[in-house]
Amino acid sequence: MTVMPTLEGGLRIDADDEGDWELLRSIISDANCCQTDLASRLGGLMTDEAVSEDWEELIVPDLREEFQDQLAEIGASIEAAIFNADNGPGPIWITPDDAYPWYSSLNQARLALEEIHHFGPEDTADPLNMDPNQQLAFIRSGFYSDIQSLLLRHVMK
Amino acid sequence: MANPKTLTRSKESTELDVPWNVIVHDDPVNLVRYVIFVLMKIFGYNERKSTVMTMQVHRQGRSIVWSGEREKAEFYVQQLQAHQLKSTMEKSQ
Repeated sequence: MTVMPTLEGGLRIDADDEGDWELLRSIISDANCCQTDLASRLGGLMTDEAVSEDWEELIVPDLREEFQDQLAEIGASIEAAIFNADNGPGPIWITPDDAYPWYSSLNQARLALEEIHHFGPEDTADPLNMDPNQQLAFIRSGFYSDIQSLLLRHVMK
Repeated sequence: MANPKTLTRSKESTELDVPWNVIVHDDPVNLVRYVIFVLMKIFGYNERKSTVMTMQVHRQGRSIVWSGEREKAEFYVQQLQAHQLKSTMEKSQ
């Protein structure tokens, strides 16, 4: 897989094969892999009695819908690109308008993987002491992080 | 029979609202550059101020990024959480 900036201010991801497309699909499945969704986890931080009840009732459902909408948008883009490439080599573009939903979806995936595996800061994590499932998750998280860095550097300026 | 008269005395008191702090907490996922970007976007801070606050989050585990009235604090925390930053609000001590 190759990821590169475009002249239009976005990113282009070139998938080489079916495995690359599966890796991109895993953004969505990883983002949804926690029992407790991200909106509820963030809402759970609001422990002050004066605000916690209203937060759970009014804010969390809105956040949940927003996060799911972003995942649905990116999931649909990935599936359309896979269809166009007939599951073989092919590109997917991230335009400047798509950058934030992409960043958000990648972040949701990384936050969910962290919630499950507790990798900690990337520079202190030790993949050699992880089980194979954790190692794969750690590698995916690093891949998502690399795309996020490219988005921040080249698109979300 | 004499009309009963009721005397009404009103008393006004004004109490200063305690400000609320909006706090961003450290986490191992959100990239430093992204946190700076979000603080600039939500609060309109310049890059230098956003960077100082972000490094405070990174080094000290949390940073008070805004203080003021409750409704605005709620709005800002909602915005920060919509950007997936661990954020809370608490009454100023």
